[in-house]
Formats: sequence, C-alpha cells, structure tokens
Amino acid sequence: MIDLTRTERTVLGVLIGACILLAGLVGTGVLSASYLFYLLALGGMYVLLTVGLNVQWGYVGLINFSVAAFFGIGAYSVALVTSPRSPLELELHPIFGLLAAIVVTVVIALLIAIPTLRLREDYLAIATLGLAEVVRLIVLNEQWLTRGSAGVPGIPRVTEWMPLAWVPFDSANFRNFLLVVGLVALVFLIVRRIHRSPWGRVLRTIRADEDLAKALGKNTYRRKMEAFVIGSVIMALAGVFYAHLNLFLGPGDLDPINTFYVWIAVIVGGSGSDRGAIIGGVVIVAILEGTRGLVAVVPADVSVGPLRLLLVGALIVLVVRFRSQGILPPQRELIWPGTDRRASASTDGGEDRE
Amino acid sequence: MLSMLQYVANGIVFSSIIILGAIGLSLVYAIGNFANFAHGDLMTVGAFGAIIGGSFLTGYVPGTEVSIVGIPLSFYLAVLVGMVVATVVALATERLVYRPMDATPIQLLIASIGVALAYRGAIQLRYGAESRTFDVGRGGPIPIIRETIGVSVTQRHLVIVSLTVVLVVSLHVLLQYTTLGRKMRATADNPTLARVSGIRTSEVITAMWIIGAALAAAGGAFLGLDTLVYPDMGFDVLLVLFAAVILGGIGSVYGAVAGGLAIGMAHELTPLIPRVGAEYGPAVAFIIMVAILLVRPSGIMGDRQ
Repeated sequence: MIDLTRTERTVLGVLIGACILLAGLVGTGVLSASYLFYLLALGGMYVLLTVGLNVQWGYVGLINFSVAAFFGIGAYSVALVTSPRSPLELELHPIFGLLAAIVVTVVIALLIAIPTLRLREDYLAIATLGLAEVVRLIVLNEQWLTRGSAGVPGIPRVTEWMPLAWVPFDSANFRNFLLVVGLVALVFLIVRRIHRSPWGRVLRTIRADEDLAKALGKNTYRRKMEAFVIGSVIMALAGVFYAHLNLFLGPGDLDPINTFYVWIAVIVGGSGSDRGAIIGGVVIVAILEGTRGLVAVVPADVSVGPLRLLLVGALIVLVVRFRSQGILPPQRELIWPGTDRRASASTDGGEDRE
Repeated sequence: MLSMLQYVANGIVFSSIIILGAIGLSLVYAIGNFANFAHGDLMTVGAFGAIIGGSFLTGYVPGTEVSIVGIPLSFYLAVLVGMVVATVVALATERLVYRPMDATPIQLLIASIGVALAYRGAIQLRYGAESRTFDVGRGGPIPIIRETIGVSVTQRHLVIVSLTVVLVVSLHVLLQYTTLGRKMRATADNPTLARVSGIRTSEVITAMWIIGAALAAAGGAFLGLDTLVYPDMGFDVLLVLFAAVILGGIGSVYGAVAGGLAIGMAHELTPLIPRVGAEYGPAVAFIIMVAILLVRPSGIMGDRQ
C-alpha cells in the first residue's frame, strides 16, 4: 500500500469517495439499502463478465463479440433446468443448473473456436458476432424450449441457506450481493493465479507476437482455445448468477448492447489487467445508473436510450484513440510477488500492445 | 407454400442488396486492412439519407412525380442523395477517427464498433426508433410475369436488380479499364509496393471509401425500398455481409459479388429446408460461413490468409 503510483492513488481515492457518497445516500434515505445492494450485485455481475472477457481479449488478444450470448447461454441453462415453469419440466437442484451451464458453454465455445482460432484474429470477431445473432434467434423462436418472447419465470433463489437472519438490513438483495462477492473473489483469485503461471506467460507472449510464441515451440492454437473456453465459462457464470438474481429470464436479457458495455469495461479498465477489469466493471454500472440521471438534464424530447448508445460509441472510439492502455494497465501485478526487487521503481506503463 | 421459382426471385432481389454492401466491406478490408463493423450502419445512414433527403427534394424539384418503371423519379434522386450523405459521413469518419489513429487493424476493428454504435445512436436520437417506408406508391406484382411463370415480381424488385447490375458493371469497368482502378487493385494487392511505385495511396484510400460508402448507401436504400427503413436495419444484415465477404474471399471485389449472390440466395431459400422458418436466414448464412472457414478460409476467390 506504500508504493502506489499516482493513477493507483487517484483510482483508490475515487473509489473511497464513491463508497462514502453511497453510504451517505443510504444514511439520508435517498437510496434504500436494499436497492443499493441490488445495484452492487448487478455491478458484481458486470465485473464477472469483464474478468471473463479480459481473459480472452486482455490476456491473449481474442476478440469475442458474443459476451451477451455466453451470458445468455449460462442464464438460460439454469432457467430451463431449474425452473418449475420451464418447458423442460425438470425442476432440478440449482447445482445441476450450474453444471448444465458450464457443459453447454464449453461445447459451444469449442464449436466456435475450432474453425476460427487457426486463422487471423478478425475471423473470431466475425464468427462470434454471428454466434450472438444465432443464439438470440434460437431463444426467440424455439418456443418449445425457451418459451420465446414470453420468457422463463420462477427460477429458484439460491441464498436461503445463508445464516443471516440476525443482520438488521438482511434482504434477498443483500444475500445476492454476498454471493456475487464470493464468486468474484473466487474467480479473481483463480484467474490471477493462472495469469502469473507459465500458462499465463505464454498467453502474453501470444498477444505480443504469436509467431514468436510458435517459434519457441508453444502450441498457440491450444493455449488460445483454453483461454477462450475459460473466459466463456466465466461469462456463463455471470449468467447463472443473473438468473438466480432476477428469477425471470427473457430474450431482452441477451441484448447485444451488453456485449459492448463489457468491451468498454475491459478497455477502459486496462486490457490484460485483472484489477483493471474489476474497476472497469464498476465503471459500467456507474455509467448505466448515472445516465439515468441524464433524464433530468437533457430536454424532454431527447430519449436517453439512443443518447447512451451514442455516448458508448464515442467512448469506445476515444479510449482506443487516446488511452488504448486503459486506466490501470497491467504493471507489477504480473510479476510473481517477492521476485521484483525494484518494485517501487517500476512505475512505467506496463507491457506493450502488439 | 410458394413455388421454388418464387424463392429464387426473392433470392435475386436480396442478393443484389447484399452484393452492394459486401463490395464496400471487402474493399475496406483489402485497402483499409481492417474488418469494418460500421459498414452495416453505413447502409443505414445511406437509407436514412435517401428517405429524409428524398422527401425534402420532392417539395422543391419540379417533375419528381414522373415515374420510370413504375417508381417515381423522386426515388432515384433520393438514392443519389443517400449516396452523397453516406459518402460525406464515411469520409468524415475516416478523417476524424481512422486516419489519425495510426493503429493496428485490431484497434481499428474495435474503433469501428464504436463508430457503428455512434451512427445508430445519432440516427435514433434524431429520427426515432420507428420504421419508415419510401413513398413510392403501392405496386403489386407485374401481371405478365405472374401469368406466364407464376412468380410475383414487383416493379420495385425490377428496379433494385437492374440498378444493382448497372452499379456492379460500372465498378467492374472502373477497376479494369481506368488508371484509378489499376491503382486500387495495386494498393489492395501490396500497399508498400504500390507506394514505392509512386501511387498516392492516401488518394486511393479516399476513392475506396467513396465507392464503398456510395454502394452501401444504394444497398441500404434498396433494402429500405424492399422492406422498411429503421435504425437497426444495417446492423441486422451485417452478419450476412460478413458471410458473403468471407465466402467470396476477403479483399476480392468479384468474390464479394459471387459470395453475395450465394449467401443472399441461401438466406431466401432457408424456408425450403424442412422445419426451418424464414427467420433462420441469418443462421443459415452463419453456418455456411463457419463451414467455409473450416474448409477453405481464403474463400472462393481470395488468396489472402
């Protein structure tokens, strides 16, 4: 904590400020505690999606425009397997929902990765754009499986077992918040561990120069495949959590725009940085909730949805143009703790992008 | 159940629209060297330019009610307006966003997603999310064709297909027989070699954006004439455009024409597959695309990896 860079100190300051502000809003009754925890739970979900995309884009440089689709695959797997109102009428325990989500995601991720990962990076981008469209079409049209636009209600809660009845502000949202904090912490520790491992170093080499990695005898196709599947499973986990948070799922939850929110989170947070991904996820929720406030500012005949679309697009262009390394680019976090003797001296801007 | 011939006729119309979009996408891929995810939304810009500009012209230019092939002259003028609008927007985007960036193809790709969202947001902000139609009167199927071969073809369809043929043939002549065309082919083939040979590649890139945007606008206006004009229309066909470009071979204009014809046809023939509805057209295009990537990633006519 002693040797923080200036950016790190600024980010930390802003985060602490935001916490104080939120606590103040709850304290004065402007914001209900239950709604605050709902927002934070939603924020945790975006953090999971961001961490998942960061494994693909940040670590290896894989362009995935199917974030919303993998999220949807995870969520729909849970809904169809566990809900009493799903057309499959299985009504299994939520643990089977989780398993189904992981299995289906792995299969679909492999199906899309096998033809495209041998080719240039942009083929994966195009193929995942297509996958997102196909998943949306299936969810919308296969009434016998997904109930189409009617959606699937009645997804069970998974937080009843928590012994929290003694907490004064205990609520379903609070429990969901704790659940997502646990999930994020688990996923974060796992990806940071594998990112620092030899496996993660190969991924970073591929991102910088794939030919070099090949020349060193690394099986780059295999490594890219693994990173793609791991990232997709993390996105599906976010979907699993969302299904149990919202208890209802419709085709609207697979809106492709969510994919681009998550992209902003990754490139704003700092591609390749795990903590940057977490900051990025928080930033997204702040933007989404903050732009609701735009209603009060803009003239009545301007609708907020398109304005948000315009701002999101402009933000992507500006970040790529002026700060392509993001807010918190990867720095010392990629160095194994204890091996960096000059830790306090190295404050320069992280690894180079290809 | 429609007849087989009817599906083929619909396929030719839809293919024309896809070909116009795919050529521009393929040109940017070859000369600009990145996958432009804003190309679908550029079609939307062209369609809106046509429908808004066209209705404006009708009030001020005399004689626009004269019809050619059953479509009022105002529509043809509107398509021209749309082409100009899309060209201006594309060139402005190139100057403001892509050119100063000096970035890798991947960064340009991601920036183009931002550009696509910005186009769509701006259109929706100004003109709302509702659908519009071109004011060209109600034209039913042409009686003679219907009676002889039992296929309903409207005058709109005839106009779309014949104008597409005119545009594609003009592009062919431009590419094969003019100096600009030779410069474009040289730059697409090897930009560095083209530059040492004394070709001003920045002029070639400008020409490429003009051609790509004008054709995209025509495609967008035709799509609007065939169906509806709405802010998501271009993004909705983007996947089909990419499938056509990949099938034809990235960077090949003639490949884009062949790929557009095949993918557009497959899109419209989808209902012939048992138990698959017309709504799965994009999915069929997607499956063809993935199959091509597995078997022959360079496409039918491409030679680049």
